[in-house]
Amino acid sequence: MVSIINSIDTAHEDMIHDAQMDFYGIRLATCSSDRFVKLFDVNNGQHTHVTDLRGHEGPVWQVAWAHPMYGNILASCSYDMKVIIWKETNGIWEKHYEYTGHESSVNSVAWAPHEFGLILAAASSDGSVSILTHKDGKWEAQKITAHNIGCNAVSWAPAIQPGSLLEPPSTQTQTHVKRIVTGGCDNLAKVWKEENGEWQQECQPLEAHSDWVRDVAWAPSIGLPHSMIATCSQDGRVIIWTNEDSAGNSWTPKILNTFSDVVWNVSWSITGNILAVSGGDNKVSLWKESLEGQWVCVSNVNKGEGQSHSSTEAQPDQ
Amino acid sequence: MAMQRREIPEFIIPVSGSQDNLLSARWGQGLQLMVFSGNGKRRYMAGEADVAVNLDKPSVVHDVRWQTDMHYPATRKLAAQSHEIFTSLQKHTSDATDGTKKPQLVKFSRRYRVAMMECLEDLRKAASDMAEDEGDQDTYKDMCQLYQQLELIWNLCEILYIENLPGGVILQQLLDWVKLHFTDADSLAAKIISEGEINISKDYWSAVYIYVLQGRLSEARHLLSMNPETQHDVHGAYARIDELMRRMPVFSVFSRQSLAEFDLKWRNWQEICQQLLVDGVFVSYQPLETICRILAGQQDVLDQLQDLAGDWYQIMVTKLLYTNPMVKAVDLQYHAKSCMDKFRGSSRLLPLDQILLAALEYDVTQIIKISSSSLSNWWFVAHLADLLHHAGQLETHQLDFGATMREFLLLEYASTLMARESMWQIIIEYLEHCPVFGRHIYPRGSVLTDLFAVSQSICKVMGMRALQEKRLGTALTWCLRSQDASFATYLAEKFLTEYSLNGNFSNLDLIDNLGSSMLVSDRLTFLAKYRDFHRLYEEAEFAEAGELLLSLIEANLAPKQFMLILLTDALPLLELDVVVFSSKQTSQLLMCKENLLKWYQSEEYTREILPKKSKGHVELEKEKMELLQLGLSRNLSRALLEESVRT
Repeated sequence: MVSIINSIDTAHEDMIHDAQMDFYGIRLATCSSDRFVKLFDVNNGQHTHVTDLRGHEGPVWQVAWAHPMYGNILASCSYDMKVIIWKETNGIWEKHYEYTGHESSVNSVAWAPHEFGLILAAASSDGSVSILTHKDGKWEAQKITAHNIGCNAVSWAPAIQPGSLLEPPSTQTQTHVKRIVTGGCDNLAKVWKEENGEWQQECQPLEAHSDWVRDVAWAPSIGLPHSMIATCSQDGRVIIWTNEDSAGNSWTPKILNTFSDVVWNVSWSITGNILAVSGGDNKVSLWKESLEGQWVCVSNVNKGEGQSHSSTEAQPDQ
Repeated sequence: MAMQRREIPEFIIPVSGSQDNLLSARWGQGLQLMVFSGNGKRRYMAGEADVAVNLDKPSVVHDVRWQTDMHYPATRKLAAQSHEIFTSLQKHTSDATDGTKKPQLVKFSRRYRVAMMECLEDLRKAASDMAEDEGDQDTYKDMCQLYQQLELIWNLCEILYIENLPGGVILQQLLDWVKLHFTDADSLAAKIISEGEINISKDYWSAVYIYVLQGRLSEARHLLSMNPETQHDVHGAYARIDELMRRMPVFSVFSRQSLAEFDLKWRNWQEICQQLLVDGVFVSYQPLETICRILAGQQDVLDQLQDLAGDWYQIMVTKLLYTNPMVKAVDLQYHAKSCMDKFRGSSRLLPLDQILLAALEYDVTQIIKISSSSLSNWWFVAHLADLLHHAGQLETHQLDFGATMREFLLLEYASTLMARESMWQIIIEYLEHCPVFGRHIYPRGSVLTDLFAVSQSICKVMGMRALQEKRLGTALTWCLRSQDASFATYLAEKFLTEYSLNGNFSNLDLIDNLGSSMLVSDRLTFLAKYRDFHRLYEEAEFAEAGELLLSLIEANLAPKQFMLILLTDALPLLELDVVVFSSKQTSQLLMCKENLLKWYQSEEYTREILPKKSKGHVELEKEKMELLQLGLSRNLSRALLEESVRT
């Protein structure tokens, strides 16, 4: 049973680019070409507008909620080349920090897993990725030159080593390794790892797309015996990359599906077992890995005037 | 490459806007998507960066969720109740011996069914609640229908797999099954009887026939005896049929009769029925003839009464009752098949038919499989599979990938609960009982335990913050999430103080819906129960209200200062026209009042509390005590009087 619990009119005056729920699923942040970030309280089919955050001077592409253990913190990034971190103190939302280290549009922001601390990654059309770390009340920036023509997306690996829950390492206490994946205009996705305070490419770039990589998403499925990354591209393909060995050197691609149009966005469910794909075909489709290891579409969300119904589609039995 | 046709469910979001606005989605919590008509990041290269293409600007974000069956108030309650049953079932079976196991399992099964019935009742109420909007009412109606079917299936499974009585003679239980779920005759009969004068209508005979078809002969005889014609029954036909029905032998596992003995009696009895028909005793009494033909086991009469006889499975029970009362459970499948072929004909089998047939064929895997694919209710399959697993009925059914079916289903169920954070703890406990998937390979348990620990500390901070801002309701919500007992006690006291100051509660709906979370602290339990009392009182359920109040006073859960308020609450009940408190209860109240009086005179009170009270307040308290004394004594005399009259 699928239902629309709530329809929230954001009153944005231009295109909406992102809509993110917070950790508890009670607050929604949206952002738009109208330069605003808007916040809403959402509860059981009701919603109330909390506030508008004004600070960007161009379209705002993406927003991201920090883990609530650090307070109510939201990051946003924009065409105006800025990253802004917003913070709520005593019920009032204010600009907490503004980062202006990029020379072009900032396309994507993502918070690191909370175990690492308050750390934000931002990907920009200038080809670099910034890692902003909050330390002793100050923000420190590190820059990685990631993709030649531009970087479109960034996503963090979960803090726990794949498979570590199966066989907990008994000899030494585990040190978490920070990893990110980036996707760029060089048609590549790249995996990066922090070592001795430096960010380095961990392995050969993930090379399989034939056009810009539009989005990357590292699956939050900690505890699975392998890591998993989803990438999508201008070339219409969505690829799932898996990595069996924990050293992280070899990623195996598997094409989830080839769509008829650009795929703009991929995102994993909180449990990491369903992938939502949205693209130029004007559809949102949900994909799940079957027990035999095949990716199958489990649901489609379409536009239209009607209500829910079923359609029969031929599925290739790969 | 083989092409496989598969149904992909499609959901349509009603949005206007041009085709160029692309539908985009972001994950929310659990099975939730935020869907909007933006354009993802549709941009083109312009100079050095992308710029959004300027199109229509729809501004609505849709909050889309699925598998939300367990998120309605009624089903949430079911989730909480069945979680309790589930956990005690897991604990129980690990230390039960074979001898005690079966009756215990039957008990567990019945507890699940009670929970289902309660859920059904709540859904029925919600469906006819005018306060709900129309769409919701329809949803509730659909759910009512679903839960009725679920209960029907569960009950049959309980009979066949959990209870399976020795000897395999099963008819009596099947009759009970039909009687419990198909109550048309009862409502017809009730209507006829309520009309006062018995009107021999079509409905009257329908009720009688259904009773006979369901084997409920005493009810049928009762209804027949009300027929005015029995008064001048010159040919004795009514007496004859009554005699026949009265003397029909019934086999019970618990009687001392052997099967052979019963068989002999039963054959004799049916021969008499057949003989009477041959003799034409009922020829001029058409309805009685019909009854006698049913009793004699004649097949064609079932065809004639098809409208009343119900679905194929009801007909099967009727047929067995009058042709083969000693049928063994293992043979049911042949009868089921033939009844289905005969009475279902070529019309498409509904999932319910398939599931019941599978149950009668002892094909457990098939029951679970069809139920999962067609009923869209993981609650049902998960709990049923778990119960069957404990009854040893599921052991041989391993899925290819090595985990038992039970575990797979429990995990699916747990993930439908995921979208509500209030369910996290329940989810974790389900996962803990999935040794293969839940703890290890499946990541969810660990993520959740982790999230849970973090969220607890956050909740505590949030709770304190809300309290400082004097928002008690919010504070309590956070407190419940953190399961902090001492904080809950503190907050409950705040609520009670608030009540004693201004006589009403804030955040009523929160307190009304505490459910089992009230058990976090005694004081909170008291608060919730005290509120229940007020609700009962408002609903004019005085007897229940009185009883609850008394138990609250007796349980000593309340702070001492609050005792007077509780006793004062008894006053309006004492003033009613009817006597609410019995003499015994009144004496108990009197005793409590005396105890309170003693406390007022105690050193602790005079030293610590009395100085803080104003003179007017003390006067008021004194006045209340006197009123109480008066009211209670008056009530005692009234109650005694009334009780003596009754005895």
